[in-house]
Order: sequence, then C-alpha cells, then structure tokens
Amino acid sequence: MAEEDDAASTIRPDLPAGRVKRIMKLDRDINKVNSEALLLVTCSTQLFLEFLAERSAQVAAEKKRKTVKLDQMRIAVKRHRPTSDFLLDSLPAPAQSVDGQSAEKVRSRPGAEKPAPAGTRRIDDFFGKPVSEVS
Amino acid sequence: MEDNIGSDDGSIKEQDRLLPIANVGRIMKQILPPNAKISKEAKETMQECVSEFIGFVTGEASEKCRKERRKTVNGDDICWAMETLGFDNYAGPLRRYLHRYRDLEGDKANQDRQ
Repeated sequence: MAEEDDAASTIRPDLPAGRVKRIMKLDRDINKVNSEALLLVTCSTQLFLEFLAERSAQVAAEKKRKTVKLDQMRIAVKRHRPTSDFLLDSLPAPAQSVDGQSAEKVRSRPGAEKPAPAGTRRIDDFFGKPVSEVS
Repeated sequence: MEDNIGSDDGSIKEQDRLLPIANVGRIMKQILPPNAKISKEAKETMQECVSEFIGFVTGEASEKCRKERRKTVNGDDICWAMETLGFDNYAGPLRRYLHRYRDLEGDKANQDRQ
C-alpha cells in the first residue's frame, strides 16, 4: 500500500484545472467530462510536460548546450514514437525557428545566399557550377 | 467566432487554448538542471505541445464514449486513451491516483456532471 501512495503522491498537478477543461472543450465532439477525467488529464498533461522537458534537456546536454531550444525539443519529440506520432507535424518547421540555429548556418557561408547585384554574374557561373550547391 | 485582429479579444482567445506560460515554464525549470536555460520559443512551443496532448488524449477518450453511446468521459476512458496512444507508462500512476481520489471523494466524483 505504501508503494501505491508514493506513486500517487509523486503526481502533483501544478496546472490550472479550469484552463485544462477549457482546452478539452475546444473539441466540439466533447460532450461532458467528469471531474475524474479532468483530474487525470491535468495529471497526465503534467507528466507529459515533465517528460518532454527532460528529454529536451538530455538532447541539449548531448550537444553541450545550456539553453533548451526548439531544435532540441524537436529531436526529443522525434525520438519518442508515441509523441512524434501526434506532435511532430504540429511543431514549427526548422526554417521558421527564431532561436538562431538556422540563421547561424546561413551566416557561416557568406555570400552563398545573397542574390548577386543586378547585371552581374556570380563567379561560379563562369565555371559552370550551380550556385545552389550546399552540403 | 469573430476575428478580432489586434484587439484584446484575440489574445484572450489565444490564452484560452494554451496553458499559462508561467506554469509551463516553472514545471520545465523544475525538471531541468539548475544552470540550464529555456528559450522563450521553447516555452511557447511547450505550451502548444501540451495543448496538443490534451486534445489528442481527450479526443481518443471521447471517441470511445461515442462508440459506446456514453455521454460523459470518465477517468477510466482517460486511462484507456493513454494506453491506446502509447503512454501506457502513465496509465499505472494515473489509475493509482484515480483510486486514491475515489477513496477520498466517495460517490461524489462519480455523480459529478460537468
């Protein structure tokens, strides 16, 4: 019995149940939700949040980063099948990330992405290489 | 639903479908190592992720009720949804939490209708 109490007491919902309920009711197909269901959704949402935060932190640590950003979260989502099944498509695409990682990649190849001034030709054109080659 | 561009009504609607960023941020902070930081975008993304999770679980449970011609989603439906969606490791702790809750609440929980 003591074990069960420990397991139950480790869930401490820190999320507002009223807001959780409002989010549940966004689905028009939802008819009625009893208080047990609301309680369990609130608890499981917290568990999920903690889980995803932990996994994201692991990814950040692997990459020796102190800040957890969207890119690390995306990797964490991808690594957990049940989560990626419902969540991967909802995440912003990598190009839209404003955390700066995509921008860094662009800056590391100066000039490659800049359009040439009108009337000029890129030197690569002389040599027949496509400008858009990237690795 | 009206489209209130740039007015407070628009932002209130946004907050209706997301959990407060303060709560989300706090929970994340508790999980992360003490010196770790979280980008604002990551917190906002987490808000979206958990709302998706809520909708996903609720939708699955609600579908079960619909098929069984029941109008009210109950705790067992939520546990079932967790297992179905691959979060079976939550089902155990949730069921224990539910039984403890039922012991405390008695019949009140079962009669509760929202």
